[in-house]
Amino acid sequence: MTSRELVVDTLEFRSPERIPRQLWVLPWADRTWPAELAAIRKKYPDDIVQSPGFLTEPLKTQGDEYAPGLYVDEWGCRFENRQAGIIGEVKEPRIAAWSDLDGLRLPKERLSVDVRKVDDFCAASGAFVHARTIVRPFELLQFLRGPENLYVDLAERPDGLFRLIEKVHRFYLEELELWASTEVDALFFADDWGSQNSLLISPVLWREVFKPLYRDYAEIAHRHGKYIFMHSDGHIAAIFPDIVEIGVDAINSQLFCMDVEELGRRFAGKITFWGEVDRQHLLPYGSPADVARAVRAAKEALFRNGGVIAQCEFGIGARPENVAAVFETWNRLS
Amino acid sequence: MLKEMQEALIAGKKSDVEALVGQALAAGLPAARILNEGLIPGMERLGVLFKNNEVFIPEVLVAARAMNAGLGLLEPHLAKAGVKPRGIVVIGTVKGDLHDIGKNLVAMMLRGNGYKIVDLGVDVAPEKYLEAAKANGAGAIAISALLTTTMVQMKNVVDAVEAAGLGIPVVIGGAPVTRDYADKIRARGFAPDAASAVEEIGRLIAA
Repeated sequence: MTSRELVVDTLEFRSPERIPRQLWVLPWADRTWPAELAAIRKKYPDDIVQSPGFLTEPLKTQGDEYAPGLYVDEWGCRFENRQAGIIGEVKEPRIAAWSDLDGLRLPKERLSVDVRKVDDFCAASGAFVHARTIVRPFELLQFLRGPENLYVDLAERPDGLFRLIEKVHRFYLEELELWASTEVDALFFADDWGSQNSLLISPVLWREVFKPLYRDYAEIAHRHGKYIFMHSDGHIAAIFPDIVEIGVDAINSQLFCMDVEELGRRFAGKITFWGEVDRQHLLPYGSPADVARAVRAAKEALFRNGGVIAQCEFGIGARPENVAAVFETWNRLS
Repeated sequence: MLKEMQEALIAGKKSDVEALVGQALAAGLPAARILNEGLIPGMERLGVLFKNNEVFIPEVLVAARAMNAGLGLLEPHLAKAGVKPRGIVVIGTVKGDLHDIGKNLVAMMLRGNGYKIVDLGVDVAPEKYLEAAKANGAGAIAISALLTTTMVQMKNVVDAVEAAGLGIPVVIGGAPVTRDYADKIRARGFAPDAASAVEEIGRLIAA
């Protein structure tokens, strides 16, 4: 059985032979634990991979996203960073005034995908392949406007906000249609919606402004016979029913911010839980035994003849022995 | 009128708050009464709503802006009457960390609850907290971190405050921070969210 078949059986709740896995790695881990990371990757290869971008035109960026200093992304957002291995923060919004919106350049280079190369990559890979693009409207709006400005916009609802959302959303639709025309298995969108114990904005506002965007992304994926995956950090229990309702196939969320058992009672068998294991406390400060206990609890709560992907992030502060314990435990439980 | 002011503040209606503060002053109400019975109770109610997930960051930010507008009108009158703030709090994000929306929320809510805030910004070295606390006669230091790697800087601030014999509480918060961690590094205060930070700082300053 190929990795792709394993993942599809998981998403379809068809009792996969083994729980499929994927390790997310921040450059910090590459730099801090190169040998340990290589050993984990060798022992537990990913069943889900991301296609290379295969862009024929390079993105117009400046600097290194993960290096200290200034990085300018393809939308013109300027990130300041103090730490190697993680991304920085936007301190000067690209759209400080709504008059700046007309001058916003869309990063059309992202649409210069060599589809044939993507298809060749998918054909040669036994893994389940994600599109390269990561669609993230809420985060992009924060980068473009600055987080505080955006939150105030969401309360005051100026016309400019909706013109900006429309502009960003249209671009993302075009990009997703393009990737959906390739042989990738799934599209992916990501936005961090939760704080430690609640949503960042009201669920009512989320449903009104953002849910329709995500519904469009899911519709594109499904119309093309693809799966749709979503990521959100934070406590997002309030919008879990909406995420299921718009047809998201797999959700990567901070399960351990929320009540895992309650999530399982309400949503197991309706959506696939694409990880994770607590990267704020367990992976940096716990022991392998703590990690194993958490994984067992997640399996008990969430697995229903599938519906679980073993995933965690080897990010800043995480201990390699704990990351290894995540996959050792899932393998034992498979 | 003061009740109406509270409602306008909670709704984030800046121009209404300004107008009502102006009317209250014109009607001869003392600035301290407008603050203590109009604006501060409004912010306190907002804090409860925020803690209970009945309002969220957008609503808090626009309410804080309305609060600041009202305070701006009151401040000359408060100074003239010799009204002191509830306390002085030095606040900042730890060294190496540029994330500030959580810290800014706490600062806004503290200001709205009658505290004077000395905001040192982001990426703040331990000695800067000390200098600012001494120079301003602060009653507490509030520090924030988003990252597990920068969180460890909090201990350096607590150690520096202890070594200097300053005797004021350090209150910590931020995504990865827990009460256990606060206990471990001997921080006297911990807050899981901005509204709790106001309560925790109030409790510690009053103690």
